[in-house]
Amino acid sequence: MRNIFLIARREYLERIRTRAFIIMTILIPLMMAGFLLGPGLLMNPMSHGARHLVVVASRPQTAESIREQLTKVQEQQNKEIAESKKKTLKRTSETPSDLTVDVDTNTSADERTALTQKVRNKQLDGVVWATDEALAVEKIPFITREASSFIQNAEIGVGVDRALHREALKAKGLSDQEIDKVLKRVELDPQDALGGGSANPQVTFIASFIMVMILYMSVLLYGINVMRAILDEKTSRIMEVMLSIARPSEMMAGKILGVGAVGLTQVIIWIGTAVLFMAGNLVASADMLKGAISPQMLVAFAVYYLLGFTLYSTIYAAIGAMVNSEQEAQQLQFLAVLPLAASLGIMFNVIQFPNSTIAVWASIFPLTSPLVMFSRIAVQMPPWPQIALSLGVMIVSIWGLVLLCGRIYRVGILMYGKKPTLPEIIKWLRYA
Amino acid sequence: MYTIELTNVRKTYDQFVAVDNVSFNIEEGAVFGLLGPNGAGKTSTIRMMIGITAPDTGQISMFGKPFQRPQLQRVGYLPEERGLYKKMKVLDQLVFLGELHGMKTANARERAIDWCKKLEIAEKLQNKVEELSKGMQQKIQFIAALLHDPDFIIMDEPFFGLDPVNASLLKDVLLELKKQGKTILFSTHRMDQVEKLCDAICLINKGVPVLQGELKQIKARYGKSNIQIQYEGDGSFLEHNPLVSVFNNYGNYVEVRMAPGADSQQLLKMVTERSRINRFELMEPSLEEIFIEVVGKTDA
Repeated sequence: MRNIFLIARREYLERIRTRAFIIMTILIPLMMAGFLLGPGLLMNPMSHGARHLVVVASRPQTAESIREQLTKVQEQQNKEIAESKKKTLKRTSETPSDLTVDVDTNTSADERTALTQKVRNKQLDGVVWATDEALAVEKIPFITREASSFIQNAEIGVGVDRALHREALKAKGLSDQEIDKVLKRVELDPQDALGGGSANPQVTFIASFIMVMILYMSVLLYGINVMRAILDEKTSRIMEVMLSIARPSEMMAGKILGVGAVGLTQVIIWIGTAVLFMAGNLVASADMLKGAISPQMLVAFAVYYLLGFTLYSTIYAAIGAMVNSEQEAQQLQFLAVLPLAASLGIMFNVIQFPNSTIAVWASIFPLTSPLVMFSRIAVQMPPWPQIALSLGVMIVSIWGLVLLCGRIYRVGILMYGKKPTLPEIIKWLRYA
Repeated sequence: MYTIELTNVRKTYDQFVAVDNVSFNIEEGAVFGLLGPNGAGKTSTIRMMIGITAPDTGQISMFGKPFQRPQLQRVGYLPEERGLYKKMKVLDQLVFLGELHGMKTANARERAIDWCKKLEIAEKLQNKVEELSKGMQQKIQFIAALLHDPDFIIMDEPFFGLDPVNASLLKDVLLELKKQGKTILFSTHRMDQVEKLCDAICLINKGVPVLQGELKQIKARYGKSNIQIQYEGDGSFLEHNPLVSVFNNYGNYVEVRMAPGADSQQLLKMVTERSRINRFELMEPSLEEIFIEVVGKTDA
């Protein structure tokens, strides 16, 4: 035990003092913030601001109706923005937009050319061409400079669609109130028959997805470090000195724990920073997450994160023990990445059907259980024996793998410079 | 008491027999040479002694008891494959290795500094290993093996890659350790280097011991049949001489082995008749020669 501690401590202290660690700790959150905020900052000015549209229709009441609905959609949006601004201190980059809609009943080809020219010259922002011919084929041209702006297209689409529905209903002789009632959307309210909370499934999904991503990212980021740490031992040729005093399994366990602790330190720093920022700025989203993340989810996350991270680090350690150079190691990395990617796939299935056979077995199988069992707990609490079983299986697998790696590693020192084949590795395992 | 005792030790890798039926023991306080050409099985034997691998058959006892890992804290090992953590500072590295051998941090630190002073690299204590020259790294490696004051010191090719100054420094330290009663095992294929240091040897070839025992006895068994001659003039007449069985010309002098039953005085007379002699010395055969003879016999 003392040896494991000494080896882990050395690994931890040596790594945490490196410049790479400090740079990564600062740079990654900056990059993430950039990814999250950057596109928003860049996109908003384009889709908002003052806009001037023209609606062309054969009949004036159609054009008027479309104008009315487009204005309504915009007003509703402005209201939402104002509300979210009031609710949070977050300085949102979204600003209410002014929308001017003109109505035109000249449906000649010349008019269309003229209007198109205006859009091109930026005198207009868009033309909705809702002529009778267009209505007959149920395809309404929208002339714009930003044909690929799907957000704007969707907004306009919703407005036009509503207007035409209303027109059709009006033609059947319904009053405005009746039309409002008919077109009102109904909300579905899922109730958990097993007595689970009635948390918003979307938010639950997002919360578990974030946690799964943290696990996925840390395995990818730090698992490789474990592999490198073991390769380092080989390339620096110090392993023979180390093995003359420590058991190979102690070496492996020490390396995995030491490098793992470095990763944890970094993740804790990142999460801590994120929480600080959220506490100050994102009251609304924090409230939203508060409802979705239960204490049991946090405990489950901590437990499955630690075990999952350890298990995958051990797989990377095994890869490091098998090979002599990083190039060779890269060919074997799929061994670690494949089950991770697979459990990501299964996870989507689990959220849909948390009690399916595949969900149950995948949440017990050690390579998939960290992600899958966690998402099951997030979505719907599985029976305790299953949780206990998945934890037990994982702990046993980790220790078994550490012993196995130790053997591969020890025998590996006898064969420098030669890439082992699978039969050879199996043979190594049998050597005492 | 024997510091280490190997009894009928055998190790195979697949079809390849690395070590076969090796038995020897080293007395406490002795300097022992494990000798043999490259690939003879020396390193394989050592790896079994320190538990990196286990023998297929046979027993190993250390300090009078069957091998157990805690005994390794009393062993200092300098492997043939030298290696240190390159990015680590010298002092940190030595302290770490000392702690692994059961030392307290403060004690390890103190002794590391003492040793570095002794080997004249104290000014490099705060440098990273990768910043040191090869020779300096060797010294650090050497200190790492001795820091925890081991009772049994195993050195695999200790003089490999050392310049003469450092080799002599290392030799002095080892002699001092011998005086302190430490048991030392050398493993090398350069027999001339350890010949002067060893009390006893075991020569192995192709995994099999071919000659072992106390060095003095071994040499006595082979007698003083070698003669070194330094002379002026043409010595070619020695090469095909009935009195001489082996002739080696080293440029400045020649070394010959007498033919069985030949008289060295007769040879001396012959040489004085033909050239001017500066030196004529009866020698013990070198270990290397003995080895070549023994191996030649077993191979044949």
